Amino acid sequence: MPGKYAELHALSNFTFLRGASHPEELVETAAKLGYEALAITDECSMSGIVRAHSAAKKFGLRKLIIGSEFKLQSGRKIVALAQNRNGYASLCQLITTTRRAAEKGSYTLTRTALEGGLPDCLVLWVPDQDFTLDVEDHWIRETFRDRLWIAVELLADGRQQEQLVRLQEEGRRLKLPLVASGDVHMHRRVRRILQDALTAIRHGTTIDNAGLILYANGERHLRPLEALRRIYPPELLAETVRIADAIDFSLDELCYEYPDELVPQGETPTTYLRKLTEQGMRRRWPGGIPQKVVQLVEHELALIADLAYEPFFLTVYDIVAFARSQDILCQGRGSAANSAVCFCLGITEVDPGRMQMLVERFISKERNEPPDIDVDFEHERREEVIQYIYAKYGRERAALAATVITYRPRSALRDVGKLLGLSDLQVSRLSRSMQWWDGNKVDDSRILEAGLDPDSPVMRRLMYLVKELIGFPRHLSQHVGGFVISNTPLYKLVPIENAAMPERTVIQWEKDDLEELGLLKVDVLGLGMLTAIRRSFDLIRDFSGAEYTLASVPAEDPLVYDMICAGDTMGVFQIESRAQMAMLPRLKPRCYYDLVIEVAIIRPGPIQGDMVHPYLRRRNGEEAVDYPSDAVKGVLQRTLGVPIFQEQVMQLAVVAAGFTPGEADSLRRAMAAWKRRGGLGGFEEKLISGMRERGYKEEFAKQIFRQIEGFGEYGFPESHSASFALLVYVSCWLKCHEPAAFTCALLNSQPMGFYSASQLVQDVQRHGVQVRPVDINHSQWDCSLEADDEGKAVLRLGLRMVKGLSEAAGQRIVTERGSGGYQQAQQLLERAGLDQRELGVLASSGALRPLAGDRHRARWAVSGIEKPMPLFPSLDRYEATPLLRKPTEGQTIVADYQSTGLTLERHPVCLLRQHLDRYQYRSAKQLPGIGNAQKINVAGLVITKQRPGTASGVTFVTLEDETGQINVVVWKQLAEQYRAELLNARLLGVSGELQIEGKVIHVIARRLMDHTNMLGNLTIRSRDFR
Amino acid sequence: MPRAWKSPVTAREAAPTPAAQQQALPFLEPAPLVKPLALAPTRVQRLWFCIWLPGLPLEAARSTEAATAVIEEQQGIQRVLLTDQQARAAGVTPGQSANAALALLPTLQLEERSPLREQQALEALAGWLEHFSSFVCIADRDVLLLEIAGSLRLFGGLPELRKKISTGLRQHGFDASLAIAPTPLGATWLARAGRRACIRDEQNLKRVLRELPLDCLQWPEGICSSLMAMGVTTIGDCLRLPREGFVRRFGAEPMIALDRALGHLPDPRNSWRAPERFCADHEMVQEQSDRERLLNICHELLLSLEQFLLTRQLGTQRLSFSFFHLKGSATELRLGCARADRCAERWLELLRIRFDQLVLPEPVIAIRLRSGMTQALQAESARLNFYGCDDRLTRRYSIVELAERLIARIGEQSVHSLCMVAEHRPHYAWRPQSLLSDWASSTLSEIRRNIRRPLWMLPEPALLPADSGYPLHQGDPLRLLDGPERLETGWWDEHGISRDYYTAVNPAGIRLWIFRNRSQPSCWYLHGYFG
Repeated sequence: MPGKYAELHALSNFTFLRGASHPEELVETAAKLGYEALAITDECSMSGIVRAHSAAKKFGLRKLIIGSEFKLQSGRKIVALAQNRNGYASLCQLITTTRRAAEKGSYTLTRTALEGGLPDCLVLWVPDQDFTLDVEDHWIRETFRDRLWIAVELLADGRQQEQLVRLQEEGRRLKLPLVASGDVHMHRRVRRILQDALTAIRHGTTIDNAGLILYANGERHLRPLEALRRIYPPELLAETVRIADAIDFSLDELCYEYPDELVPQGETPTTYLRKLTEQGMRRRWPGGIPQKVVQLVEHELALIADLAYEPFFLTVYDIVAFARSQDILCQGRGSAANSAVCFCLGITEVDPGRMQMLVERFISKERNEPPDIDVDFEHERREEVIQYIYAKYGRERAALAATVITYRPRSALRDVGKLLGLSDLQVSRLSRSMQWWDGNKVDDSRILEAGLDPDSPVMRRLMYLVKELIGFPRHLSQHVGGFVISNTPLYKLVPIENAAMPERTVIQWEKDDLEELGLLKVDVLGLGMLTAIRRSFDLIRDFSGAEYTLASVPAEDPLVYDMICAGDTMGVFQIESRAQMAMLPRLKPRCYYDLVIEVAIIRPGPIQGDMVHPYLRRRNGEEAVDYPSDAVKGVLQRTLGVPIFQEQVMQLAVVAAGFTPGEADSLRRAMAAWKRRGGLGGFEEKLISGMRERGYKEEFAKQIFRQIEGFGEYGFPESHSASFALLVYVSCWLKCHEPAAFTCALLNSQPMGFYSASQLVQDVQRHGVQVRPVDINHSQWDCSLEADDEGKAVLRLGLRMVKGLSEAAGQRIVTERGSGGYQQAQQLLERAGLDQRELGVLASSGALRPLAGDRHRARWAVSGIEKPMPLFPSLDRYEATPLLRKPTEGQTIVADYQSTGLTLERHPVCLLRQHLDRYQYRSAKQLPGIGNAQKINVAGLVITKQRPGTASGVTFVTLEDETGQINVVVWKQLAEQYRAELLNARLLGVSGELQIEGKVIHVIARRLMDHTNMLGNLTIRSRDFR
Repeated sequence: MPRAWKSPVTAREAAPTPAAQQQALPFLEPAPLVKPLALAPTRVQRLWFCIWLPGLPLEAARSTEAATAVIEEQQGIQRVLLTDQQARAAGVTPGQSANAALALLPTLQLEERSPLREQQALEALAGWLEHFSSFVCIADRDVLLLEIAGSLRLFGGLPELRKKISTGLRQHGFDASLAIAPTPLGATWLARAGRRACIRDEQNLKRVLRELPLDCLQWPEGICSSLMAMGVTTIGDCLRLPREGFVRRFGAEPMIALDRALGHLPDPRNSWRAPERFCADHEMVQEQSDRERLLNICHELLLSLEQFLLTRQLGTQRLSFSFFHLKGSATELRLGCARADRCAERWLELLRIRFDQLVLPEPVIAIRLRSGMTQALQAESARLNFYGCDDRLTRRYSIVELAERLIARIGEQSVHSLCMVAEHRPHYAWRPQSLLSDWASSTLSEIRRNIRRPLWMLPEPALLPADSGYPLHQGDPLRLLDGPERLETGWWDEHGISRDYYTAVNPAGIRLWIFRNRSQPSCWYLHGYFG
């Protein structure tokens, strides 16, 4: 086999900032060049091999070898190649130990770690410039003996002849065979430019200062066979193929085993799952199980058994059961979560009877996709669940999946700009223009605006490099909550490394890699609303004794839907944003499934696909509901012929465009990643032509494709929406029937949601709930409920609202208070051990009113308190009474905002009303009485500014005055014209036109005025969303 | 900007004192921080003229007419500190992040704040103000104080003086807030509050000061926010508080400041002096053309320079001599040396070398010696001479002195050191370096190992004739010994290369370094000769 070659030493860009080609590119090029094999040997990493593995199948590479490069502490470099499954496991284990022993992102390879000799691995010793193995490194030869080669890497540095001769001598001396290899860093020579750039970034230097840390040439690419034949003696090339032939391992051999401790003795997973399900059924339907449910469960169990997914359901069940035992609220979602089995197991609280869903919609035999269950837990207690998993399975068997952080336009620009010597300011100017990056180029005018010449050589280099760099992996981070749990130690499957958080470890693969290899993961996520709901339940129980759970909140309460239809949803889950609030009165949800749609429809996908208005029209009967075909009707009937959910789009691809279920599944994956990796191109053509062939209108096809694009990273499936809708309903029910408890729980769970504490408190006040201020003798740390004279719930603000007071100090105040409370400020110091600063913030919050009078007096009093001196324990000092002014109402309001972010006094705008009247500003309350399309002036505090990516540059501003909120729409051109006002104003005046549509009121702005100066010292932070 | 107080040693902290005595304590004068200039405690009527330059960071940084904002890093974010009129009109306001400012005005010129430039601008102003008063004081990074009681008569009264100063400031491009008061702090606070007040007696002073808001006091943030939280917003409010309670809460320092501002306590200040350069003349009774005599005079001048620099612990890198003639313009002679020095003998040695070449068109009537910018001199530790070797022996070998003497003889532009550059491209791998600029940096930081480079590199590669693709040298075919060494690099400037280098030998046995471009493999170039 003369002249054949296998590359045994190649780094992909998963050797971060060294390798300059994607694994896929390396594999494709090696296959095209006719290599016998290609080894991906990223430095102490397996992160890129799954991609290489699937690319090898796609491009028909003869053999993919899996290995890793290591630098020993002594500076020696070796490359280890896995010969078989066992060798792969020992390699993974070595990577795990060396990475776990070092800080995140680095590794330490000591001689001891190699003492086991890496069984079933072949090893290349890569000599350095001396071409000799020092005496002290002879242990390398001893350790690997018959599995060691000297790698001869001739890279045109002018000393090739010398190198070859010296290594041949060394080989004879040490009795080691020689083999050719290429130290490959890129798939093609042109990437040397990017490789140089990466090197400079890695060293944190500019390119023209990088000097000799750069490689002198671009020889480290996959060289054509004829070039290699010119460079290497034939026997060295032949040796590569001999090594490749000795290797017999593919990632397909990996098999994943579920943990087996989930099943008790004497049971099989199948029997145990059935047992648990039947128990659950009896619990769920104590009065007798409906025949329909029994059938459904039987059907699902058969399907699960067929696919052998029982252990997966049992794994999730175990985690959920733990959470329940700890009173941690949780809710499953995802394709398998809304099954009757999951309902019986308690993984979800969504009664399958409440919505007609077939489990095949979620688990399908043909699609061969693993079941997907994400479980949301209370965000503040998720850590307990994670620690439980670690404790139960051990760190060897449970780990979080990684997320590969890749270069985005802005980060790429920042790094490239720096290495080309641009100043920080120039870079930050340019990075603003990256908003206009369309994947290829930035509009020249934007570069000009940043004060740079788009045609200058530097800018051309910059843009070239940025374009090349985008999508390159930069580092591994931890996935939000994707756990992999295995029966055998994970390091035999994939290396584990340290995450940035202490006590966290991640595996070197990300979610897609796991899916590719069919490994199962469970997403353990945190959700703030669950915390708020659990707290509401607790508060209600403690206040009135009524016990609620997610399942036992009365279903389908018309009062709740009335509230939702009125758009009165501030603070509830999901449907509280402005866009949602505006949609609710039009969509008029009246049942649970309407909420499922409501959750999914106000998302980039349906908005971009222009699905919202057709759905609205059809729902209101303004447009006939029709279907292009019966097949489509089957898919779209439940949403009136308008595709809203991700699943529907997938199904449409199958029934209308002729995709196989497998293709539809890869479309789904491409959809989730296209923004990051690019590449929906092939699917567009196939989808549109497929639909055209089957007689669908071009317009319909294009619409579906636009929606697919819109789903992008925000793809929202029905299976998730269904679970979310339950939380929407429960939170709405709480807001409707227990507003005090609900708001109290929300305040205690901040920060979360769209609205600030101030807005939540005003909202609950408008709903007739009394709110009491922070009080040193009555407040708990958390906000709490008190009863008024009639026994009605009153919301008492907690010490947590006081800015600058630590929880520890707050808790001490509460525990040391005793039954009599505090009578003097001095006691706070003596009993609760507060320091001067903490006393100060308490005084400024007004919490000391009962002890020391108004804020000014309280502040004077506490600032004079001192720790009693041991020698003079009770020195009663005479103090002259200061002449302090009483705070004015304005001062009180300002101080309230500064200290607690809200006021229980009059609204600040109320105080300014007289001034505002001069400009003829109307209040929020007056607006409904004014006719549509009338000219109008309004003013208020700016509380949110939102510029959604889907709204073509429109900014939505929410103003607040003493009577409520005013929604203002600022068109793009006006926003440009009044940039300063829009950006800076905290009190904004708007002249414009009123737009009333049913209960939805908008002011279309024509002119903006900044009245911030009227506010004086009042600081109100607007919440800005993009 | 809040400023940290120099923590005063107050008696309260020093030791536990009986309560009765404590009551009286705040009224005691703590040890003054600065030694008072005026020793006499008797009331001398002084008048302080304060110039507050709120826009100094901008005025010192401004480079163009375009809308400009000065930015400063605060907690890792570049934030706008000051803006000019144009930027303000576009909505750029202090406190915005640089990015937000750019969002408002993409053409905005952003300048980073430079305390050094501000200091220089302030010193330049102080220098100019010395025209108006013998007592100028840089009181803060943006505040200048003049004591003007003594200057009033000279400048024709207060209004006249004030007009002169304010016009001058405007001409210098500064936007200032001016105030006049009998105490320096009073004047400063008035200026900071933007009151164009002119107060000559202390009774009025108290009345006016009472109305000033707290933020013009520049007290630490903590104290100000505490006071505000008590509803205390003006100096008058402060003065209404019980003194003892005030001092207990905020320390003695603010109270002392109040007393100083009101004139109850003395407030000594340091006077500012412009930095000096040496300049001395030697005038002769009659014209002189004897070169040895002239050199002697120069020597005397150098000795007095040495004395001048020695007493100030300074040195200088450059000197200039001017030889004046009765007719015609003076002959100039400049000297430079690699390190700041003050030793007369060394300067004389350099002067001798240059003086030999100096052509004096006429006899000399006077000589002037001026020093360049002076700088603090790093004293060298003297060697202890244990072995009795002649010190001069080592001196002779000093490369620095050799270089200085060469420069003195053949000129700065002709003497260089070589410096290696870490760079793959051979023609960029070294560069000449001026000797006078910075002697220390010319050390070799990184030596490339295992690399063959010819000792003699041609300034430009020379095209070699070729015979059917093989290079010829002086008509003879070349034999390639080693290679290729492939160099593909330098894409980041306009001089990227992509070449294969070879070592070749000609029939005469001379080894050559040749290359061909990868894009044009038939053309061979000669780049150097190995030794």
